Amino acid sequence: MSEPVIATVRIAAPPDVVFPYFTDPALAVKWIADAALLDARPGGTFSLDVRGNPARGEYVEVDRPHRVVFTWGIEGRGDFPPGSSTVEVVLQPDGDETVVTLTHRNLPTEEHRRSHRQGWGEFLGILGEVASATPRA
Amino acid sequence: MSGSAGGGPGTTGTADTDAVLRALADPHRRDIIRLIHDTELPAGQIAQHFTLTQQAVSQHITVLKKAGLLGERREGTRRLYRFHSDALMPVRDLLEEFWPDALQRLKRAVERDHPKKKGATRQ
Repeated sequence: MSEPVIATVRIAAPPDVVFPYFTDPALAVKWIADAALLDARPGGTFSLDVRGNPARGEYVEVDRPHRVVFTWGIEGRGDFPPGSSTVEVVLQPDGDETVVTLTHRNLPTEEHRRSHRQGWGEFLGILGEVASATPRA
Repeated sequence: MSGSAGGGPGTTGTADTDAVLRALADPHRRDIIRLIHDTELPAGQIAQHFTLTQQAVSQHITVLKKAGLLGERREGTRRLYRFHSDALMPVRDLLEEFWPDALQRLKRAVERDHPKKKGATRQ
């Protein structure tokens, strides 16, 4: 089984402020989805349209404002079907801030694993290389 | 407050990969993006980070804007700029990165919706 992908961010707001961004459709569309249908209770629907990809799954655990777990897959993608992977989000208070740690487990292929791991800094680095190799107009 | 909520991420799909790559084929322009990828700044403050003339900086901003990488918002007489990561989608699809960026978006959304009263923390 592939290693999980772990991503983390520190947010200048307490967990009870951050948590609903994972459970309230009106807030989910502010950062991750073009459209959201969320029913945040175990077994409830987890449905996000992410850049044209229908991400589908269901909530597994909802422990506000500490932890939320949902399954994740892409409808119509045989190699990555809904429910095939699991995302765990842990919100850890630190003073009046929150450290969000997201762990995405059971990603189907090495390719997916790699794809979810690249950070913004790394991404810009790669772009820099690509762009430097691109002749200027 | 809360200027343009609702509607979610707007324009997508128009930026073409070549234009994006060309816009990024300059270290100053990449520095501009690094500067604002997590925040929104007026042109003057962006210029302060460079030894370039303000005019040179505004030219770079124009290139980034045309490639769809920067969004512009007016606030009084100021123009504020922020990064439009959607414009990177054609490229990003290629590179497939997702969560770290999504969490940065989350951070931006939360901190925009709930600004701290005292000095905001960065990073």
